Amino acid sequence: MVSASHWAQPPTRTELIENLVSGVDRYNPNNVGILEDYLYHQIRTEEYDCLANLAILKLYQFNPDLYNPDVVINILIKALTSSPFPDFNLCISLLDERTANPNADEPDPLPALLPILTSLHNLLQQCRFPAFWSLYRSEKAESLRDNYTVECVGFEDSVRGVVIRAVEGAFKRIGSERLSSYLNLDVGDVKEYVERLGWTVDGAGVISLPSNPDNQPVSTVVQENIQLSQLTKIITHSQVA
Amino acid sequence: MAQRWESDLDEELQDVDLNLAIGTYGQNGIYEDGQHRIDEATLLAVQQQMAQQAAFSAVPDVVKRFIVHFHQAVLDNNLAEITVAYESGWNRLTEKFYAKTEWPEAEVIAPLVNDDQIFLILYRELYYRHVYSRLQPDIDDRFHSYENSCELFNYLLNSDGPVALELPEQWLWDIIDEFIYQFQSFCVWRSKAKAKSDEELQLLADAGQVWSSYSVLNVLYSLIQKSKIHEHMAALQEGKSTDQINEIVGEYGVRPLYRMLGYFSIIGLLRVHSLLGDFTLALKVMEGVELNQKSPFTRVTACHVTTYYYVGFCYIMLRRYSDAIRTFVSILNFILRMRQYHTRSYQYDQINKTADRMYALYAICNALSPSRLDDNISNIVKERYGEQFAKMSKGEEGIPAFEELFIYACPKFINANPPPYDDVEQLALLIDDPPIEPAQRHLGLFLSDVRAQAPVPTLRSFLKLYTSLDASKLANFLDADEEEMVQQLMVMKQASRSVSRAEGERGLLEGHSIPTSDLDFVIDENMVHIAESTVGRRYAGWFIRNTEHAQRVYDSVKNSALPPKPSHNPNPAAAATTNSSAPAPSAPKSSGQKVAWGGVKTN
Repeated sequence: MVSASHWAQPPTRTELIENLVSGVDRYNPNNVGILEDYLYHQIRTEEYDCLANLAILKLYQFNPDLYNPDVVINILIKALTSSPFPDFNLCISLLDERTANPNADEPDPLPALLPILTSLHNLLQQCRFPAFWSLYRSEKAESLRDNYTVECVGFEDSVRGVVIRAVEGAFKRIGSERLSSYLNLDVGDVKEYVERLGWTVDGAGVISLPSNPDNQPVSTVVQENIQLSQLTKIITHSQVA
Repeated sequence: MAQRWESDLDEELQDVDLNLAIGTYGQNGIYEDGQHRIDEATLLAVQQQMAQQAAFSAVPDVVKRFIVHFHQAVLDNNLAEITVAYESGWNRLTEKFYAKTEWPEAEVIAPLVNDDQIFLILYRELYYRHVYSRLQPDIDDRFHSYENSCELFNYLLNSDGPVALELPEQWLWDIIDEFIYQFQSFCVWRSKAKAKSDEELQLLADAGQVWSSYSVLNVLYSLIQKSKIHEHMAALQEGKSTDQINEIVGEYGVRPLYRMLGYFSIIGLLRVHSLLGDFTLALKVMEGVELNQKSPFTRVTACHVTTYYYVGFCYIMLRRYSDAIRTFVSILNFILRMRQYHTRSYQYDQINKTADRMYALYAICNALSPSRLDDNISNIVKERYGEQFAKMSKGEEGIPAFEELFIYACPKFINANPPPYDDVEQLALLIDDPPIEPAQRHLGLFLSDVRAQAPVPTLRSFLKLYTSLDASKLANFLDADEEEMVQQLMVMKQASRSVSRAEGERGLLEGHSIPTSDLDFVIDENMVHIAESTVGRRYAGWFIRNTEHAQRVYDSVKNSALPPKPSHNPNPAAAATTNSSAPAPSAPKSSGQKVAWGGVKTN
């Protein structure tokens, strides 16, 4: 079962970061370096901390001078694979409109990459996994791959994590071919990949998933549940009368 | 930590004074002509004095008496009198004399209150609020209302120790509420770089920290820290005694004025962060605030309603529609119950408007995550937004209806930063190619969530007809590619799960994934198996309504007078007196009972 408490406060978050995320020090522009370092730590280690990254974007929102497009792009890459949480849109929410700075030394890479990142996010959100992979592998996404996701340890696996979560809920059994197109793995590798998850593959290549609360639909009749608060008026009245 | 923020605030407040001082000198400079400097200055002073005297004599006597009385009530810390003056007197006189013009300026009425600077700050607070709500604030009003707010908060936060002032809770809420409203109003006005006069452009270029996000947050955080409201709430939850709590919260926190300002500032943060598009932080700052009818903030209805509106809205932006629905149902039912008491309140209109926006948001949530939480609210929504609701339940073609309701019901989003007023070239670029407005940006993000689950309603209507069917057959019905449809089924599955907060979980961000739909399914290779949960018939509402109705009928029968029984009565005159003294059914219940039933006994 997905729980929001790890999302709101991942166990890997250090006390220093926790104080920044939860205290007033999050507004102090001098702390942006600490949070940016923590982001790059996440990029290297497969850890993820949405709220800490949002704190960076908050500082950028209030202090446009701090803006660092590479950091923003890395935050968005991390947020891309956080389904079912809406992290990607939460990050975009904080990116206020900015006027391009013509005096900057280097051109800002974000305006060119943002549409691609957004398309990738939409494809994942719509569970169009094969389309995701073909866009991701396409020439359009070349600079994203070569300059950013290549540095992000475990990025492709975290996309596969999104796939696994979607498949787990919806399927009892699924064909290897289909799953391999979702995971962007060869059929042979799929077998190995899913066996690690405790899924089984039969001779015909059909993969069976263990039961979980989401892939066992049952028909029920929901009976109404009367709360005491609904009856307070009547009970009060009979007390008074 | 607290100290630093306070000293930041100090600096800013000093900045304000400095700006004002420079500004005044500058203005004089325009009219000054070296040779006649003194004469001109004297003349100006005399003219100003005469103008003020004229303005003073133009103030109606009843207004003068009101101000003197109001001032005395504030001096006495007489909450009852202040409340009457604040809630009733001010509004009545506004209707009578100042419906379309400003109240007299603070300088004009200063002689009436012995030039009491604190009262004049409070007076200006009301003066500017009236300008914002009834008239069009010009740039001077906007700057001066900021300065006045700073002076007020400076007085409260940076005097030697806590101030002795006491104000009604409603007023304290209105101070915070209005502070944020004026901030938001300024940001919206500031963001429209077109149609600004040269003078306005100049003032905006030099505006510095005036109405900056940092300055507004500084005020709210300083009030929270000064009042130790978080420590206070934690101590309450741990069940500490009053003495222990008083020790914890210190000399500021024990005073109702600081405690409530601290509390309302938390709600203020919820609102400011929502306006800036930071929905997680908005909910995070509410940590420790209990959302229930017993919470202290529910004593001020406007605060109660605002809180739930923003919490519900943030949940929508976090795609937690079931949490949003629960939040709206709770407050909308409260408003329905309270309606009878609030029709006379001057805030009734505002509360009604917010309620109507919440009905629209409820319609949005219910279209995205159908639920049958509350039939009563659902019925009102169908009455008001039935047409849009029908469209929204149809997927892609309902997008314009989502758009319409979202724009109507969303908060007035703002940009954190001003257009580059200090850079003429950049500003010209911006005016030629205006950026997307914040509300449109957030609408776009929300619609991307809506679009992602657009195929769900159609799929749902087909699945409802079967208990199991072949995926290729379903694809045929839908006239879609089988693989594409399987992917849509996964979307449908995800849309039928939502992170939701259970009763008693700590923060508003906490929660677990729960199923939110009555229709569930699983794909077994190429077969789709469907299971539908049905809701048993509901009786409770019907019985509760009718029991209450029966009780009302019973009460009115019990309270009405008995018909006279002339034939058996030995003393007809006495009976007539009893009858005539029996009150009409509208009289108070207790006395009515005594008389009517007492009459029977004597017979």
